[in-house]
Amino acid sequence: MNAMTHEEAFSELAAVALDAASPEIANAVRTHAEACPECGPELASMEETIAALGTLVPSGQMNRGRSAGIRSRLLMRARAERELRSAPVPGPPDIARGVASLTGQGQRMTPGAQRPVTGETRTFTPPESQRVRTDARGSGRGVNWYAIAATIALVITGAQMLRMTSERNRLREQVAALDSVAPAQVSDSAAPMIAQRDSMIAAMTGPDVKVVPLMNQNAREPVGRMMWNRASNDWIMVTYNLRPPKPGMTYQVWLVTADAKISAGTFKPDAAGKTMMHARYALDRDALRSVAVTEEPEGGMPAPTGPMVIAGAA
Amino acid sequence: MNPSERAPSYSGENGSNAEDTALIRRIVDADETALGALYDRWVRSLYSLVLHLLKDPDEAEDVVEETFWQAWRKADSYEPSKGAVSTWLLTIGRRKALDRLRARKRNREDPIQDERGFSDLRSTSPDPGSEAEGSELREHVRAALRELPEEQREVLELGYFSGLSQAEIAERTGQPLGTVKTRMRLAMQKLRAPLSIHRGAAQ
Repeated sequence: MNAMTHEEAFSELAAVALDAASPEIANAVRTHAEACPECGPELASMEETIAALGTLVPSGQMNRGRSAGIRSRLLMRARAERELRSAPVPGPPDIARGVASLTGQGQRMTPGAQRPVTGETRTFTPPESQRVRTDARGSGRGVNWYAIAATIALVITGAQMLRMTSERNRLREQVAALDSVAPAQVSDSAAPMIAQRDSMIAAMTGPDVKVVPLMNQNAREPVGRMMWNRASNDWIMVTYNLRPPKPGMTYQVWLVTADAKISAGTFKPDAAGKTMMHARYALDRDALRSVAVTEEPEGGMPAPTGPMVIAGAA
Repeated sequence: MNPSERAPSYSGENGSNAEDTALIRRIVDADETALGALYDRWVRSLYSLVLHLLKDPDEAEDVVEETFWQAWRKADSYEPSKGAVSTWLLTIGRRKALDRLRARKRNREDPIQDERGFSDLRSTSPDPGSEAEGSELREHVRAALRELPEEQREVLELGYFSGLSQAEIAERTGQPLGTVKTRMRLAMQKLRAPLSIHRGAAQ
Protein backbone atom coordinates (compact mmCIF):
# COMPACT_ATOMS: atom_id res chain seq x y z
CA MET A 1 0.00 0.00 0.00
CA ASN A 2 1.24 3.48 -0.87
CA ALA A 3 2.11 5.95 1.85
CA MET A 4 -0.89 7.63 3.40
CA THR A 5 -1.52 11.32 3.55
CA HIS A 6 -1.87 12.82 6.99
CA GLU A 7 -5.63 13.19 6.56
CA GLU A 8 -6.04 9.59 5.48
CA ALA A 9 -3.99 8.30 8.36
CA PHE A 10 -5.72 10.51 10.89
CA SER A 11 -9.12 9.25 9.82
CA GLU A 12 -8.04 5.65 10.42
CA LEU A 13 -6.44 6.09 13.84
CA ALA A 14 -9.47 4.94 15.82
CA ALA A 15 -9.84 1.81 13.71
CA VAL A 16 -6.16 0.99 14.10
CA ALA A 17 -6.33 1.49 17.86
CA LEU A 18 -9.34 -0.82 17.97
CA ASP A 19 -7.60 -3.34 15.71
CA ALA A 20 -10.53 -2.95 13.33
CA ALA A 21 -8.48 -1.86 10.31
CA SER A 22 -7.09 -4.21 7.69
CA PRO A 23 -3.44 -5.19 8.19
CA GLU A 24 -2.45 -3.13 5.15
CA ILE A 25 -4.15 -0.01 6.43
CA ALA A 26 -2.86 -0.59 9.95
CA ASN A 27 0.70 -0.88 8.70
CA ALA A 28 0.41 2.25 6.60
CA VAL A 29 -1.10 4.20 9.49
CA ARG A 30 1.56 3.04 11.92
CA THR A 31 4.30 3.92 9.46
CA HIS A 32 2.86 7.39 9.11
CA ALA A 33 2.31 7.76 12.85
CA GLU A 34 5.93 6.91 13.58
CA ALA A 35 6.99 10.16 11.94
CA CYS A 36 3.94 12.33 12.48
CA PRO A 37 3.97 14.51 15.60
CA GLU A 38 0.20 14.66 15.62
CA CYS A 39 -0.83 11.11 14.69
CA GLY A 40 1.79 9.34 16.82
CA PRO A 41 0.61 10.69 20.19
CA GLU A 42 -3.02 10.53 19.05
CA LEU A 43 -2.72 6.84 18.26
CA ALA A 44 -0.94 6.13 21.54
CA SER A 45 -3.65 7.99 23.39
CA MET A 46 -6.39 6.03 21.67
CA GLU A 47 -4.66 2.76 22.44
CA GLU A 48 -4.51 3.72 26.09
CA THR A 49 -8.22 4.50 25.94
CA ILE A 50 -8.89 1.06 24.50
CA ALA A 51 -6.77 -0.50 27.23
CA ALA A 52 -8.75 1.42 29.84
CA LEU A 53 -11.92 -0.20 28.50
CA GLY A 54 -10.37 -3.47 29.56
CA THR A 55 -10.74 -2.39 33.18
CA LEU A 56 -14.49 -2.84 32.89
CA VAL A 57 -14.51 -6.53 32.23
CA PRO A 58 -15.66 -8.65 35.12
CA SER A 59 -12.77 -9.95 37.11
CA GLY A 60 -11.94 -13.48 36.08
CA GLN A 61 -9.89 -15.61 38.41
CA MET A 62 -7.79 -18.24 36.76
CA ASN A 63 -7.50 -21.54 38.55
CA ARG A 64 -4.53 -21.09 40.87
CA GLY A 65 -2.89 -24.33 39.95
CA ARG A 66 -3.16 -23.66 36.25
CA SER A 67 -1.92 -20.13 36.68
CA ALA A 68 1.04 -21.42 38.62
CA GLY A 69 1.66 -23.94 35.86
CA ILE A 70 1.66 -21.26 33.18
CA ARG A 71 3.98 -19.10 35.27
CA SER A 72 6.33 -21.99 35.83
CA ARG A 73 6.40 -22.90 32.15
CA LEU A 74 7.06 -19.32 31.14
CA LEU A 75 9.99 -19.00 33.51
CA MET A 76 11.37 -22.37 32.54
CA ARG A 77 11.25 -21.55 28.85
CA ALA A 78 12.63 -18.08 29.42
CA ARG A 79 15.53 -19.49 31.36
CA ALA A 80 16.16 -22.13 28.73
CA GLU A 81 16.11 -19.57 25.97
CA ARG A 82 18.35 -17.19 27.85
CA GLU A 83 20.90 -19.89 28.38
CA LEU A 84 20.63 -21.11 24.83
CA ARG A 85 21.26 -17.64 23.47
CA SER A 86 23.93 -16.61 25.93
CA ALA A 87 26.19 -19.62 26.29
CA PRO A 88 29.22 -19.51 24.02
CA VAL A 89 29.74 -22.12 21.38
CA PRO A 90 32.80 -24.24 22.08
CA GLY A 91 34.98 -26.04 19.65
CA PRO A 92 37.07 -25.53 16.56
CA PRO A 93 35.94 -23.56 13.50
CA ASP A 94 35.06 -26.69 11.58
CA ILE A 95 32.62 -27.67 14.25
CA ALA A 96 29.88 -28.07 11.67
CA ARG A 97 31.59 -31.14 10.35
CA GLY A 98 31.43 -32.68 13.77
CA VAL A 99 27.77 -31.86 14.04
CA ALA A 100 27.08 -33.34 10.65
CA SER A 101 28.67 -36.54 11.81
CA LEU A 102 25.97 -36.86 14.43
CA THR A 103 23.53 -37.59 11.72
CA GLY A 104 25.70 -40.28 10.30
CA GLN A 105 26.99 -38.12 7.46
CA GLY A 106 30.41 -37.35 8.85
CA GLN A 107 33.61 -39.19 8.22
CA ARG A 108 34.94 -39.23 11.74
CA MET A 109 32.31 -41.20 13.48
CA THR A 110 33.51 -44.63 14.37
CA PRO A 111 30.52 -46.44 15.66
CA GLY A 112 31.33 -49.27 17.92
CA ALA A 113 28.13 -51.23 17.79
CA GLN A 114 25.90 -50.43 14.88
CA ARG A 115 23.65 -53.39 15.28
CA PRO A 116 20.07 -52.19 15.00
CA VAL A 117 18.08 -52.53 18.18
CA THR A 118 14.94 -52.92 16.17
CA GLY A 119 14.10 -52.29 12.57
CA GLU A 120 13.57 -48.63 13.29
CA THR A 121 16.34 -47.71 15.68
CA ARG A 122 20.08 -47.37 15.45
CA THR A 123 22.57 -46.87 18.21
CA PHE A 124 26.13 -45.77 17.79
CA THR A 125 28.46 -46.33 20.69
CA PRO A 126 31.94 -44.92 20.23
CA PRO A 127 35.10 -46.42 21.56
CA GLU A 128 35.85 -45.59 25.17
CA SER A 129 38.86 -43.56 24.11
CA GLN A 130 36.67 -41.07 22.30
CA ARG A 131 34.35 -40.34 25.17
CA VAL A 132 34.88 -36.94 26.68
CA ARG A 133 33.95 -35.04 29.75
CA THR A 134 33.38 -31.32 29.80
CA ASP A 135 34.94 -29.34 32.54
CA ALA A 136 32.26 -27.66 34.60
CA ARG A 137 34.76 -24.99 35.53
CA GLY A 138 34.86 -23.63 32.06
CA SER A 139 36.92 -25.78 29.82
CA GLY A 140 33.92 -26.14 27.50
CA ARG A 141 35.79 -24.18 24.88
CA GLY A 142 38.22 -27.03 24.66
CA VAL A 143 35.64 -29.66 23.99
CA ASN A 144 36.67 -32.06 21.28
CA TRP A 145 33.76 -31.81 18.91
CA TYR A 146 34.66 -34.88 16.93
CA ALA A 147 34.69 -36.81 20.14
CA ILE A 148 31.36 -35.32 21.07
CA ALA A 149 30.00 -36.23 17.71
CA ALA A 150 31.25 -39.73 18.10
CA THR A 151 29.81 -40.12 21.55
CA ILE A 152 26.38 -38.91 20.66
CA ALA A 153 24.28 -41.84 19.63
CA LEU A 154 21.17 -41.45 17.60
CA VAL A 155 18.12 -43.62 17.77
CA ILE A 156 15.62 -42.75 15.14
CA THR A 157 11.90 -42.33 15.61
CA GLY A 158 9.09 -44.42 16.81
CA ALA A 159 10.12 -46.48 19.80
CA GLN A 160 8.33 -46.01 23.06
CA MET A 161 9.53 -46.92 26.50
CA LEU A 162 6.61 -49.15 27.28
CA ARG A 163 6.89 -50.76 23.93
CA MET A 164 10.56 -51.34 24.58
CA THR A 165 9.81 -53.00 27.88
CA SER A 166 7.21 -55.30 26.47
CA GLU A 167 9.37 -56.02 23.46
CA ARG A 168 12.26 -56.83 25.76
CA ASN A 169 10.08 -59.22 27.71
CA ARG A 170 8.81 -60.80 24.52
CA LEU A 171 12.36 -61.29 23.31
CA ARG A 172 13.34 -62.83 26.61
CA GLU A 173 10.50 -65.30 26.30
CA GLN A 174 11.50 -66.08 22.74
CA VAL A 175 15.10 -66.63 23.75
CA ALA A 176 14.06 -68.87 26.60
CA ALA A 177 11.91 -70.89 24.24
CA LEU A 178 14.61 -71.06 21.60
CA ASP A 179 17.24 -72.08 24.13
CA SER A 180 15.34 -75.24 24.77
CA VAL A 181 14.88 -76.25 21.15
CA ALA A 182 17.11 -74.22 18.85
CA PRO A 183 20.78 -74.05 18.13
CA ALA A 184 22.83 -71.57 20.15
CA GLN A 185 23.31 -69.21 17.20
CA VAL A 186 19.64 -68.24 17.24
CA SER A 187 19.72 -67.03 20.82
CA ASP A 188 23.08 -65.42 20.13
CA SER A 189 21.44 -63.14 17.60
CA ALA A 190 18.62 -62.14 19.96
CA ALA A 191 20.74 -61.59 23.04
CA PRO A 192 22.32 -58.32 21.91
CA MET A 193 18.90 -56.93 21.14
CA ILE A 194 17.77 -57.73 24.65
CA ALA A 195 20.92 -56.24 26.05
CA GLN A 196 20.27 -53.03 24.12
CA ARG A 197 16.73 -52.87 25.44
CA ASP A 198 17.91 -53.50 28.98
CA SER A 199 20.50 -50.81 28.58
CA MET A 200 17.94 -48.28 27.38
CA ILE A 201 15.51 -49.09 30.16
CA ALA A 202 18.27 -48.89 32.75
CA ALA A 203 19.30 -45.55 31.32
CA MET A 204 15.83 -44.16 31.87
CA THR A 205 15.38 -45.34 35.42
CA GLY A 206 17.22 -45.13 38.68
CA PRO A 207 18.14 -42.48 41.21
CA ASP A 208 20.68 -40.77 39.00
CA VAL A 209 18.23 -40.01 36.22
CA LYS A 210 17.36 -36.37 35.79
CA VAL A 211 14.24 -35.68 33.77
CA VAL A 212 13.89 -32.39 31.90
CA PRO A 213 10.38 -31.73 30.57
CA LEU A 214 10.47 -30.06 27.18
CA MET A 215 7.75 -27.55 26.39
CA ASN A 216 6.69 -25.56 23.41
CA GLN A 217 4.80 -22.33 23.50
CA ASN A 218 1.29 -23.64 23.14
CA ALA A 219 1.25 -26.95 24.91
CA ARG A 220 0.00 -27.27 28.46
CA GLU A 221 1.76 -30.55 28.87
CA PRO A 222 5.33 -31.37 27.91
CA VAL A 223 5.78 -32.47 24.32
CA GLY A 224 9.01 -34.18 25.13
CA ARG A 225 11.40 -35.22 27.87
CA MET A 226 15.12 -35.53 28.13
CA MET A 227 16.24 -38.21 30.54
CA TRP A 228 19.84 -37.95 31.62
CA ASN A 229 21.34 -40.79 33.53
CA ARG A 230 24.18 -39.04 35.30
CA ALA A 231 25.73 -42.30 36.39
CA SER A 232 25.94 -43.91 32.97
CA ASN A 233 26.09 -40.68 30.89
CA ASP A 234 23.16 -41.87 28.81
CA TRP A 235 20.85 -39.25 27.37
CA ILE A 236 17.48 -40.28 26.04
CA MET A 237 15.12 -37.79 24.52
CA VAL A 238 11.57 -38.61 23.59
CA THR A 239 9.14 -36.30 21.86
CA TYR A 240 5.54 -36.65 20.89
CA ASN A 241 3.08 -34.53 18.91
CA LEU A 242 5.98 -32.62 17.42
CA ARG A 243 5.23 -31.16 14.02
CA PRO A 244 7.69 -32.01 11.26
CA PRO A 245 10.38 -29.44 10.46
CA LYS A 246 9.96 -27.31 7.36
CA PRO A 247 11.28 -28.73 4.07
CA GLY A 248 15.05 -28.56 3.98
CA MET A 249 15.22 -28.13 7.74
CA THR A 250 15.85 -30.44 10.64
CA TYR A 251 15.62 -30.29 14.41
CA GLN A 252 18.81 -29.98 16.42
CA VAL A 253 19.18 -30.75 20.10
CA TRP A 254 21.37 -28.59 22.33
CA LEU A 255 22.66 -29.37 25.79
CA VAL A 256 23.23 -25.99 27.35
CA THR A 257 25.73 -25.46 30.14
CA ALA A 258 27.04 -22.23 31.57
CA ASP A 259 29.95 -22.44 29.18
CA ALA A 260 28.70 -24.14 26.08
CA LYS A 261 25.88 -25.04 23.77
CA ILE A 262 26.62 -28.62 22.89
CA SER A 263 24.94 -30.09 19.86
CA ALA A 264 23.45 -33.45 20.70
CA GLY A 265 22.45 -34.25 17.16
CA THR A 266 19.72 -33.70 14.65
CA PHE A 267 16.47 -35.53 14.20
CA LYS A 268 13.14 -35.55 12.49
CA PRO A 269 10.05 -36.90 14.19
CA ASP A 270 8.03 -39.63 12.55
CA ALA A 271 4.62 -39.04 11.03
CA ALA A 272 3.04 -39.20 14.48
CA GLY A 273 5.42 -36.58 15.81
CA LYS A 274 7.36 -39.11 17.88
CA THR A 275 11.10 -39.28 18.30
CA MET A 276 13.52 -41.12 20.48
CA MET A 277 17.17 -40.19 20.56
CA HIS A 278 19.83 -41.90 22.58
CA ALA A 279 23.13 -40.22 23.26
CA ARG A 280 26.07 -41.12 25.43
CA TYR A 281 27.98 -38.10 26.56
CA ALA A 282 29.77 -37.34 29.79
CA LEU A 283 28.83 -34.10 31.46
CA ASP A 284 29.48 -32.92 34.98
CA ARG A 285 26.40 -33.79 36.97
CA ASP A 286 25.68 -30.16 37.88
CA ALA A 287 26.63 -28.63 34.55
CA LEU A 288 23.39 -28.93 32.62
CA ARG A 289 21.36 -25.72 32.64
CA SER A 290 18.80 -26.50 29.99
CA VAL A 291 17.95 -28.54 26.94
CA ALA A 292 16.67 -26.94 23.78
CA VAL A 293 15.64 -27.98 20.31
CA THR A 294 15.93 -25.53 17.43
CA GLU A 295 14.97 -25.78 13.79
CA GLU A 296 18.08 -25.63 11.63
CA PRO A 297 19.12 -26.32 8.04
CA GLU A 298 19.63 -29.96 7.10
CA GLY A 299 22.83 -31.32 8.57
CA GLY A 300 22.72 -29.08 11.61
CA MET A 301 24.57 -25.94 12.56
CA PRO A 302 27.58 -25.31 14.77
CA ALA A 303 25.51 -22.97 16.93
CA PRO A 304 21.79 -22.38 17.28
CA THR A 305 20.49 -20.07 14.57
CA GLY A 306 16.86 -21.02 14.13
CA PRO A 307 13.75 -20.67 16.24
CA MET A 308 13.52 -22.62 19.46
CA VAL A 309 10.91 -25.33 19.06
CA ILE A 310 10.91 -26.90 22.50
CA ALA A 311 13.04 -26.36 25.56
CA GLY A 312 13.25 -27.09 29.23
CA ALA A 313 15.33 -25.90 32.15
CA ALA A 314 17.25 -28.51 34.08
CA MET B 1 -2.74 17.05 20.64
CA ASN B 2 -3.30 18.87 23.86
CA PRO B 3 -1.36 16.98 26.52
CA SER B 4 -4.32 17.25 28.83
CA GLU B 5 -6.25 15.01 26.45
CA ARG B 6 -3.80 12.20 26.97
CA ALA B 7 -5.65 9.16 28.20
CA PRO B 8 -4.71 7.75 31.57
CA SER B 9 -2.14 5.07 31.90
CA TYR B 10 -3.84 2.04 33.30
CA SER B 11 -1.45 1.41 36.08
CA GLY B 12 -3.23 2.33 39.24
CA GLU B 13 -4.63 -1.05 40.04
CA ASN B 14 -1.41 -2.97 40.11
CA GLY B 15 1.21 -0.44 41.03
CA SER B 16 3.09 2.22 39.16
CA ASN B 17 4.09 2.13 35.54
CA ALA B 18 7.60 2.96 36.66
CA GLU B 19 7.76 -0.42 38.38
CA ASP B 20 6.46 -2.12 35.26
CA THR B 21 8.97 -0.28 33.11
CA ALA B 22 11.77 -1.38 35.39
CA LEU B 23 10.60 -4.97 34.98
CA ILE B 24 10.62 -4.60 31.21
CA ARG B 25 14.20 -3.35 31.37
CA ARG B 26 15.17 -6.41 33.36
CA ILE B 27 13.38 -8.65 30.88
CA VAL B 28 15.36 -7.06 28.06
CA ASP B 29 18.43 -8.04 30.08
CA ALA B 30 17.09 -11.63 30.07
CA ASP B 31 16.14 -11.72 33.74
CA GLU B 32 13.36 -14.29 33.86
CA THR B 33 12.47 -13.41 37.45
CA ALA B 34 11.24 -10.06 36.11
CA LEU B 35 8.94 -11.96 33.77
CA GLY B 36 7.55 -13.76 36.80
CA ALA B 37 7.00 -10.47 38.58
CA LEU B 38 5.28 -8.95 35.56
CA TYR B 39 3.10 -12.04 35.33
CA ASP B 40 2.09 -11.72 38.98
CA ARG B 41 1.15 -8.07 38.50
CA TRP B 42 -0.92 -8.42 35.36
CA VAL B 43 -2.14 -11.96 34.91
CA ARG B 44 -5.48 -11.25 36.55
CA SER B 45 -6.32 -8.22 34.42
CA LEU B 46 -5.14 -9.89 31.26
CA TYR B 47 -6.96 -13.12 31.94
CA SER B 48 -10.15 -11.25 32.78
CA LEU B 49 -10.03 -9.39 29.49
CA VAL B 50 -9.28 -12.34 27.22
CA LEU B 51 -11.74 -14.58 29.04
CA HIS B 52 -14.44 -11.98 28.52
CA LEU B 53 -13.59 -11.84 24.83
CA LEU B 54 -13.21 -15.56 24.22
CA LYS B 55 -15.65 -17.03 26.74
CA ASP B 56 -13.41 -20.07 26.93
CA PRO B 57 -11.11 -20.57 29.93
CA ASP B 58 -8.75 -22.92 28.08
CA GLU B 59 -8.27 -20.54 25.19
CA ALA B 60 -7.95 -17.61 27.57
CA GLU B 61 -5.14 -19.39 29.39
CA ASP B 62 -3.40 -20.05 26.09
CA VAL B 63 -3.63 -16.39 25.19
CA VAL B 64 -2.28 -15.36 28.58
CA GLU B 65 0.72 -17.62 28.13
CA GLU B 66 1.31 -16.46 24.55
CA THR B 67 1.06 -12.83 25.64
CA PHE B 68 3.64 -13.09 28.40
CA TRP B 69 5.88 -15.13 26.15
CA GLN B 70 5.70 -12.38 23.55
CA ALA B 71 6.45 -9.87 26.28
CA TRP B 72 9.60 -11.87 27.04
CA ARG B 73 10.64 -12.17 23.41
CA LYS B 74 9.71 -8.65 22.32
CA ALA B 75 10.38 -6.64 25.45
CA ASP B 76 12.88 -4.52 23.56
CA SER B 77 10.10 -3.30 21.28
CA TYR B 78 8.24 -1.70 24.17
CA GLU B 79 8.44 2.08 23.93
CA PRO B 80 7.48 3.94 27.11
CA SER B 81 6.60 7.02 25.08
CA LYS B 82 3.75 5.12 23.47
CA GLY B 83 1.98 4.16 26.64
CA ALA B 84 2.06 2.20 29.83
CA VAL B 85 3.38 -1.34 30.04
CA SER B 86 -0.13 -2.43 30.99
CA THR B 87 -1.48 -0.91 27.78
CA TRP B 88 1.16 -2.74 25.81
CA LEU B 89 0.39 -6.06 27.49
CA LEU B 90 -3.37 -5.75 27.30
CA THR B 91 -3.14 -4.69 23.67
CA ILE B 92 -1.07 -7.75 22.81
CA GLY B 93 -3.48 -10.00 24.67
CA ARG B 94 -6.57 -8.46 23.13
CA ARG B 95 -5.14 -8.77 19.63
CA LYS B 96 -4.33 -12.40 20.18
CA ALA B 97 -7.81 -13.02 21.50
CA LEU B 98 -9.34 -11.23 18.53
CA ASP B 99 -7.21 -13.31 16.18
CA ARG B 100 -8.75 -16.40 17.72
CA LEU B 101 -12.24 -14.96 17.42
CA ARG B 102 -11.59 -14.24 13.77
CA ALA B 103 -10.29 -17.76 13.24
CA ARG B 104 -13.45 -19.12 14.81
CA LYS B 105 -15.47 -16.92 12.51
CA ARG B 106 -13.56 -18.20 9.49
CA ASN B 107 -14.27 -21.73 10.62
CA ARG B 108 -17.87 -20.77 11.34
CA GLU B 109 -17.46 -22.08 14.86
CA ASP B 110 -18.54 -18.92 16.56
CA PRO B 111 -21.01 -16.51 15.02
CA ILE B 112 -20.72 -12.99 16.31
CA GLN B 113 -21.97 -12.94 19.84
CA ASP B 114 -23.78 -9.78 20.70
CA GLU B 115 -23.59 -10.44 24.41
CA ARG B 116 -19.94 -9.40 24.36
CA GLY B 117 -21.00 -5.78 24.62
CA PHE B 118 -20.46 -2.95 27.00
CA SER B 119 -24.06 -3.12 28.22
CA ASP B 120 -23.16 -5.64 30.89
CA LEU B 121 -20.04 -3.71 31.75
CA ARG B 122 -21.78 -0.44 32.42
CA SER B 123 -23.36 -1.88 35.51
CA THR B 124 -20.69 -4.37 36.49
CA SER B 125 -19.88 -4.36 40.16
CA PRO B 126 -16.41 -3.18 40.97
CA ASP B 127 -13.83 -5.82 41.58
CA PRO B 128 -13.71 -6.10 45.36
CA GLY B 129 -10.04 -6.98 45.27
CA SER B 130 -8.93 -3.92 43.40
CA GLU B 131 -7.34 -0.87 44.83
CA ALA B 132 -9.01 2.50 45.05
CA GLU B 133 -7.34 4.12 42.09
CA GLY B 134 -8.22 1.23 39.82
CA SER B 135 -11.83 1.44 40.90
CA GLU B 136 -11.81 5.16 40.27
CA LEU B 137 -10.50 4.62 36.77
CA ARG B 138 -13.23 2.10 36.16
CA GLU B 139 -15.86 4.59 37.26
CA HIS B 140 -14.49 7.18 34.85
CA VAL B 141 -14.58 4.69 32.01
CA ARG B 142 -18.04 3.52 32.94
CA ALA B 143 -19.35 7.09 33.14
CA ALA B 144 -17.83 7.89 29.76
CA LEU B 145 -19.52 4.87 28.22
CA ARG B 146 -22.87 5.88 29.63
CA GLU B 147 -22.57 9.23 27.88
CA LEU B 148 -21.93 7.75 24.46
CA PRO B 149 -24.78 7.89 21.93
CA GLU B 150 -26.12 4.42 21.25
CA GLU B 151 -24.95 4.31 17.63
CA GLN B 152 -21.39 5.20 18.61
CA ARG B 153 -21.36 2.67 21.41
CA GLU B 154 -22.60 0.01 19.01
CA VAL B 155 -19.72 0.62 16.61
CA LEU B 156 -17.24 0.59 19.47
CA GLU B 157 -18.64 -2.65 20.84
CA LEU B 158 -18.49 -4.43 17.53
CA GLY B 159 -14.89 -3.40 17.06
CA TYR B 160 -13.81 -4.04 20.62
CA PHE B 161 -15.43 -7.36 21.37
CA SER B 162 -15.99 -9.04 18.04
CA GLY B 163 -12.88 -8.25 16.07
CA LEU B 164 -14.94 -6.97 13.15
CA SER B 165 -13.27 -4.71 10.64
CA GLN B 166 -14.81 -1.35 9.86
CA ALA B 167 -16.11 -2.74 6.58
CA GLU B 168 -17.70 -5.67 8.39
CA ILE B 169 -19.23 -3.32 10.94
CA ALA B 170 -20.64 -1.24 8.10
CA GLU B 171 -22.12 -4.34 6.53
CA ARG B 172 -23.52 -5.56 9.82
CA THR B 173 -25.09 -2.24 10.83
CA GLY B 174 -26.19 -1.27 7.33
CA GLN B 175 -24.33 2.02 7.61
CA PRO B 176 -21.94 3.50 5.03
CA LEU B 177 -18.27 2.84 5.76
CA GLY B 178 -17.60 6.54 6.17
CA THR B 179 -20.30 6.78 8.81
CA VAL B 180 -18.80 3.89 10.71
CA LYS B 181 -15.38 5.52 10.66
CA THR B 182 -16.79 8.79 11.88
CA ARG B 183 -18.76 7.15 14.69
CA MET B 184 -15.76 5.16 15.77
CA ARG B 185 -13.55 8.22 15.88
CA LEU B 186 -16.15 10.29 17.75
CA ALA B 187 -16.70 7.51 20.25
CA MET B 188 -13.01 7.30 20.91
CA GLN B 189 -12.67 11.03 21.36
CA LYS B 190 -15.63 11.20 23.71
CA LEU B 191 -14.32 8.35 25.78
CA ARG B 192 -10.91 9.84 26.03
CA ALA B 193 -11.91 13.28 27.19
CA PRO B 194 -13.48 12.26 30.52
CA LEU B 195 -10.70 9.80 31.11
CA SER B 196 -8.16 12.57 30.93
CA ILE B 197 -9.79 13.98 34.07
CA HIS B 198 -8.74 10.86 35.86
CA ARG B 199 -5.22 11.28 34.68
CA GLY B 200 -5.15 14.90 35.70
CA ALA B 201 -6.46 14.03 39.14
CA ALA B 202 -3.97 11.22 39.53
CA GLN B 203 -1.00 13.45 38.81
